[in-house]
Amino acid sequence: MNLLANIIFVMAEEGPHLDDNGQIVTHHWLLPERSELIYGTISSIIIFALLFKFAGPAIVKGFNGRSERIRAELDGAATAPAEAIAEADSIRTAKGDIDAERQRLFAEADAQAESLLVEGRARLEQEVTELEQRATAELAAASTRVGDELRAEIARIAAEATENVVRGGLDGDTQQSLIESFISTVGAS
Amino acid sequence: MSESRIDGYARGLFEIARAEGTIDEVEDELFRFARSYESSDALRNALTDEMIPSDKRQAIVENLLGGKATSTTTQLVSMVVGSGRGRDLPAIIDKLVERASNSKDLEVAEVRSAVALTDDQQDRLKAALANATGKAVNLKVIVDPSVLGGIVATVGDTVIDGSVRTRVDQLKSRL
Repeated sequence: MNLLANIIFVMAEEGPHLDDNGQIVTHHWLLPERSELIYGTISSIIIFALLFKFAGPAIVKGFNGRSERIRAELDGAATAPAEAIAEADSIRTAKGDIDAERQRLFAEADAQAESLLVEGRARLEQEVTELEQRATAELAAASTRVGDELRAEIARIAAEATENVVRGGLDGDTQQSLIESFISTVGAS
Repeated sequence: MSESRIDGYARGLFEIARAEGTIDEVEDELFRFARSYESSDALRNALTDEMIPSDKRQAIVENLLGGKATSTTTQLVSMVVGSGRGRDLPAIIDKLVERASNSKDLEVAEVRSAVALTDDQQDRLKAALANATGKAVNLKVIVDPSVLGGIVATVGDTVIDGSVRTRVDQLKSRL
């Protein structure tokens, strides 16, 4: 109570006052009046107390969260190189696998090409051989056929000629002779 | 036509000719007509054409045989053709000839020659064939230029071939 009374007293004693012209006059151009200082101090203490009581936990919580987040980011940053190294290793491994696969595919393609070449060459040789054999057989068949046709034609012409000769030689006497010969032969059998 | 129907026609013709008392003559004329029928496409077509009325076909027969064969022969052929059996005429006639020959205990001897045989040659050939087959034969001579020369005689299932045609064919085969 004494303190409060003293403060009120000081305030009443040291406060600004009017001069003769009716203007407000302070005791210093810069420094506040004593009473203002006291009021301000008390108000500030009250505000800081309120802030400490009500906003303090939220601010502390916010700071703690931020600290936690930064820590996590720092931890993440600490593991990122390892992950990057692992990723790089993985990429290198994959690249190595790709190179090996490429080599394998090239080798396989070379092998297949070689196989195709060998097979194609063998097939071509076989086809050429078959064509030669077929051509030889066809030539032989054609030769035989032509020979047969020639022989048949000669035989046909010879047969026609024979018949014509025989017909020409069959005069009346010959006919009678043949008939008599037949009768004699049959009668004698 | 079935064999029994051919046989029936042959038997009927045979009985008619025998009743007329001209069986030998009719048989011979029918045999020669049958061979002419076989060798002539035009005659065969005319007598078997269903589009030609039967009386027209009979008129063809009568024009063809009239004055050259006995009336019995002409009537018998005309009857067969008029009844639409012209296609079977050779078979009917061959059956009739066979029947006529059998009635006299003779075997039909069909002889094909390039030229006609004289009566003397026919008698001697008949005797020769009878000697060769052991059967009395009823000789039927057919002049067939395709034989070329010589004779082909068929007695039943026996064929005695002395034709130039066969020798030429054999020569052709060898060629």
